[in-house]
Amino acid sequence: MNVVFAVKQYISKMIEDSGPGMKVLLMDKETTGIVSMVYTQSEILQKEVYLFERIDSQNREIMKHLKAICFLRPTKENVDYMIQELRRPKYSIYFIYFSNVISKSDVKSLAEADEQEVVAEVQEFYGDYIAVNPHLFSLNILGCCQGRNWDPAQLSRTTQGLTALLLSLKKCPMIRYQLSSEAAKRLAECVKQVITKEYELFEFRRTEVPPLLLILDRCDDAITPLLNQWTYQAMVHELLGINNNRIDLSRVPGISKDLREVVLSAENDEFYANNMYLNFAEIGSNIKNLMEDFQKKKPKEQQKLESIADMKNVKRLLQNPKVTEFDAARLVMLYALHYERHSSNSLPGLMMDLRNKGVSEKYRKLVSAVVEYGGKRVRGSDLFSPKDAVAITKQFLKGLKGVENVYTQHQPFLHETLDHLIKGKLKENLYPYLGPSSLRDRPQDIIVFVIGGATYEEALTVYNLNRTTPGVRIVLGGTTVHNTKSFLEEVLASGLHSRSKESSQVTSRGTQKLFVPT
Amino acid sequence: MASLDDPGEVREGFLCPLCLKDLQSFYQLHSHYEEEHSGEDRDVKGQIKSAVRSHLSEFKKHRAARIDHYVVEVNKLIIRLEKLTAFDRTNTESAKIRAIEKSVVPWVNDQDVPFCPDCGNKFSIRNRRHHCRLCGSIMCKKCMELISLPLANKLTSASKESLSTHTSPSQSPNSVHGSRRGSISSMSSVSSVLDEKDDDRIRCCTHCKDTLLKREQQIDEKEHTPDIVKLYEKLRLCMEKVDQKAPEYIKMAASLNAGETTYSLEHASDLRVEVQKVYELIDALSKKILTLGLNQDPPPHPSNLRLQRMIRYSATLFVQEKLLGLMSLPTKEQFEELKKKRKEEMERKRAMERQAALESQRRLEERQSGLASRAANGDVASLRRGPAHLRKAEGWLPLSGGQGQSEDSDPLLQQIHNITSFIKQAKAAGRKDEVRTLQENLRQLQDEYDQQQTEKAIELSRRQAEEEDLQREQLQMLRERELEREREQFRVASLHTRTRSLDFREIGPFQLEPSREPRTHLAYALDLGSSSIQSSIAPKTPTPSSAQEPIRVWSGPSALGQELLTQSSMSQQNEGPSLNPFDEEDLSSPVEEGTASPPAAGASFGPSAHIPKEYNPFEEEDEEEAMAGNPFIHRDSPAPNPFNEEDEHLQQRHSSPLVPGNPFEEPTCTNPFEMDSDSGPEAEEPIEEELLLQQIDNIKAYIFDAKQCGRLDEVEVLTENLRELKHTLAKQKGGTD
Repeated sequence: MNVVFAVKQYISKMIEDSGPGMKVLLMDKETTGIVSMVYTQSEILQKEVYLFERIDSQNREIMKHLKAICFLRPTKENVDYMIQELRRPKYSIYFIYFSNVISKSDVKSLAEADEQEVVAEVQEFYGDYIAVNPHLFSLNILGCCQGRNWDPAQLSRTTQGLTALLLSLKKCPMIRYQLSSEAAKRLAECVKQVITKEYELFEFRRTEVPPLLLILDRCDDAITPLLNQWTYQAMVHELLGINNNRIDLSRVPGISKDLREVVLSAENDEFYANNMYLNFAEIGSNIKNLMEDFQKKKPKEQQKLESIADMKNVKRLLQNPKVTEFDAARLVMLYALHYERHSSNSLPGLMMDLRNKGVSEKYRKLVSAVVEYGGKRVRGSDLFSPKDAVAITKQFLKGLKGVENVYTQHQPFLHETLDHLIKGKLKENLYPYLGPSSLRDRPQDIIVFVIGGATYEEALTVYNLNRTTPGVRIVLGGTTVHNTKSFLEEVLASGLHSRSKESSQVTSRGTQKLFVPT
Repeated sequence: MASLDDPGEVREGFLCPLCLKDLQSFYQLHSHYEEEHSGEDRDVKGQIKSAVRSHLSEFKKHRAARIDHYVVEVNKLIIRLEKLTAFDRTNTESAKIRAIEKSVVPWVNDQDVPFCPDCGNKFSIRNRRHHCRLCGSIMCKKCMELISLPLANKLTSASKESLSTHTSPSQSPNSVHGSRRGSISSMSSVSSVLDEKDDDRIRCCTHCKDTLLKREQQIDEKEHTPDIVKLYEKLRLCMEKVDQKAPEYIKMAASLNAGETTYSLEHASDLRVEVQKVYELIDALSKKILTLGLNQDPPPHPSNLRLQRMIRYSATLFVQEKLLGLMSLPTKEQFEELKKKRKEEMERKRAMERQAALESQRRLEERQSGLASRAANGDVASLRRGPAHLRKAEGWLPLSGGQGQSEDSDPLLQQIHNITSFIKQAKAAGRKDEVRTLQENLRQLQDEYDQQQTEKAIELSRRQAEEEDLQREQLQMLRERELEREREQFRVASLHTRTRSLDFREIGPFQLEPSREPRTHLAYALDLGSSSIQSSIAPKTPTPSSAQEPIRVWSGPSALGQELLTQSSMSQQNEGPSLNPFDEEDLSSPVEEGTASPPAAGASFGPSAHIPKEYNPFEEEDEEEAMAGNPFIHRDSPAPNPFNEEDEHLQQRHSSPLVPGNPFEEPTCTNPFEMDSDSGPEAEEPIEEELLLQQIDNIKAYIFDAKQCGRLDEVEVLTENLRELKHTLAKQKGGTD
């Protein structure tokens, strides 16, 4: 159960099959990302792959001395491009691999286009997802839902990604889903449908305990992506943003040209591999400079917020001019999520403060959107245990200086869910099985998928669970991997904020006005 | 990693398929695999672990149908093209050409096509119709293509070539020609007559031209290999050569840098030059690839340039990576120095071994001389008391000996220790090469030591058997010597018999020490380590009764024995002459000949010097240990070892027939611990009264001693012995009377 290995193996096999000689790798936009996650340029150069071309690129030269390895998603456009390519082949021989199930009619059209008999291989290699870490995959979909329901295109892509993952790991799982989420149920059904349709593909050697696919919805835990995450990988993502293991540093002033884009790959960067899951503070001396930079970057919170012990003090905090707009909004969101139903809810007042502080409407709208997205009404379970709440808040408020807080991290809700699942105690009324059969033994191979995106902190949780629970292997996936910003974008994209105006909760009298700034 | 090639090895359990480690349980294996190998870019037995599905057969099926159609189309066009170019176009007038052209393919009627099928423009007086000479279809002038004669020739001639190789009747031009003959009569197009003369080209539609161009391309590819491919192939060959040669060189260089003489320096430097030349070639080739076509006009396509750059880059990476691993060779002078250094080191190693051996020898010697002097002094009192102590301590000696000496006298351990400190020094001095060499040495030593440790265990049992044999041998000799002495000098006899009986008692319990084995191992291990000569000569078969055994034991240390002899005490030298009869006996008994000959070759008194040496160290240790008065020994010592007794039997049976009346055998019987076993015919032999009496005295002393210490079980055994002795004495007296 190592997704990086699974994808890498596919790519290696493609290259191997094509034999010796100069090669070009022909990809589409998505597969380029998929390949780049598991292979570095120098590594792939050693295997005689010298050129990387996009199938949709128009000005490719005829180079008959090259062999072409085509790794493409089986989309309509790609098949068309491929047909064009075969009619006038630019390379001597073609090895074609589709990253997912391709229809028979598409195969036929391709075959009929291959008048010059240049195709040597047509296969399905199910590397149809982004392998981020060995136990974390993503589909790089931002904004998978419209309101509470799937965007149909994204549902189809997610189904494909998830079934490809199952095939690449050779798992034919039982499926459980979060009952409170309609999207989770839909996805579960779609995956099941594919498994039924392609039953021949999913015929694997039976394991004693069948694998389990658990489908969750981000709305079950909207807190985690709002918190600062303290591991190296998560922190880099939070501060700089990681996209396909690439970090765009071009915005950093004074950065040298060759550092514009940095690749963080555990496969090749030993430091990264060793530290990606480490608590930021633990890495300590290793990245002293980075730490210092970070502290320079975020001094506002650290310096002043340490004394804050109670949520009630959020108000005072908000008035602190050093707290950025973004962080202030984040604070209120957390507050709102927590005290959503509390009688002495002072959210209206806080919203007022936000406005007074000059926080833009966009962010203020987001507060209610987040509550709408991940509020209690939506949640299938109780996210905040009483003691948890304060701890989480403290955690968020305190900076790196409060070492003990850095160490006593927020445990994402996923931890509890998985813990229950492993122990066989996950409630079936909240997370029912799809179909009549259920797992009698404790699960061993678990694939968790979070609609709306996972986080690196949750990846850490999975990593730790894998390490500490013998016999249990977990892979975490999400429509994307979030930091706070991208999560808020996700919330924004779901379009929930617009509906929140009509919603009776949160936006009671006082706040109602806030949303209609006049 | 264990080797799979070893056919003898069959392992079972939860073995990792990649490293063959036994992981004990399924879960452990699972997690081991996940942790250790999941990241490895390597499949078990080349199998891909993920699911795949191939569409190739289906694809081929569909393609085959299509290809048939395509091939027919292309061939049709080429056959027509051939007909169109078969006559001398330049010297034929237009009308005639047209007539011929029309004969090749029927032209489509003008009226049937009001619009250009390709661009859709309406035909008119100004936009006139044109016919494709290859398929007869109509298009406008804009959409019309032309095929030049050279191109036509190229296509047709290539087809002829391929036809000559695989002939196909349907493609024969004659048959087609015949079938198209009727088309000449078709109406000529008015518009076409107005066209300018096409003497050097053939009009055709885009579709036909397209098909022909594809065909041309195929022909070109078949014949032409681009420069980059040629260069690249050379480049790959070079890389393969490096992959093959470099490890060979690295092995050599490492060996040479360690001062070893396994490979010759010249050969290695030749190889180095060779590899370096390949590197230069790689560099040159990749550079050439990089600059391919740069001076051309127009410059190559960016993709080509990119490809060239990438090839160059990967070649650079290759050279960098491999060249860095290519360590330098020592110069001749350096090599000499290295050799010297290694030699010195080896000598140091050897010296240390020798020293360790000497050390242990000296210790043995000291003990021996101590005993010898004691024996010579005839210190009866001490001897009388001695046996009790010695015997008591017997079982302890190996342990203490092992503990005390193993550390400083195992040369390997010592060597390992030394080298570790050398490495430290070298590191401190910053001599990296030396550190590497030393570390290599250390590793070898450690390997050797590990191996030795395992060998020891095997050797131990053998050694023990040998030791026992040796002791028996010594017994025998002592007995013989004693007999001689008794014959010649009755008065001194009593003294000697006492010493002898002492010896017996020492040896007796030692032989009866099976339960001590684990501890004695240490002592043996020490022995093995300190005198590797001995161990190397040591027999492979542990048969204790074989007559060869003594030889092996003797032959080794005989030289050492000689050295020692010069320092050995007078009493032993005095015994020299007494050995003569012993030699005579050897001659008479072929079995024992071997036993005596090696010492005879060295020095006639070799054995006498050697005997004490073999067991004296124990004695000394014994005495020390005896002070501690450990009760362990006494519990163990009386326990008879049936195995050893067997040996004793054999030995005795062996020797007794040869010297039937030999009184040497008697002392064996007097040994209190061998009483039971000696109930054979030898026991009936008359025993010297004197001896018996002495024996009785001794045993009485033992009993006293044992009683004092409260070891009742021992007292019991001893009392039993005493009674038997007395019985024998009485019988003897009765016999002689």
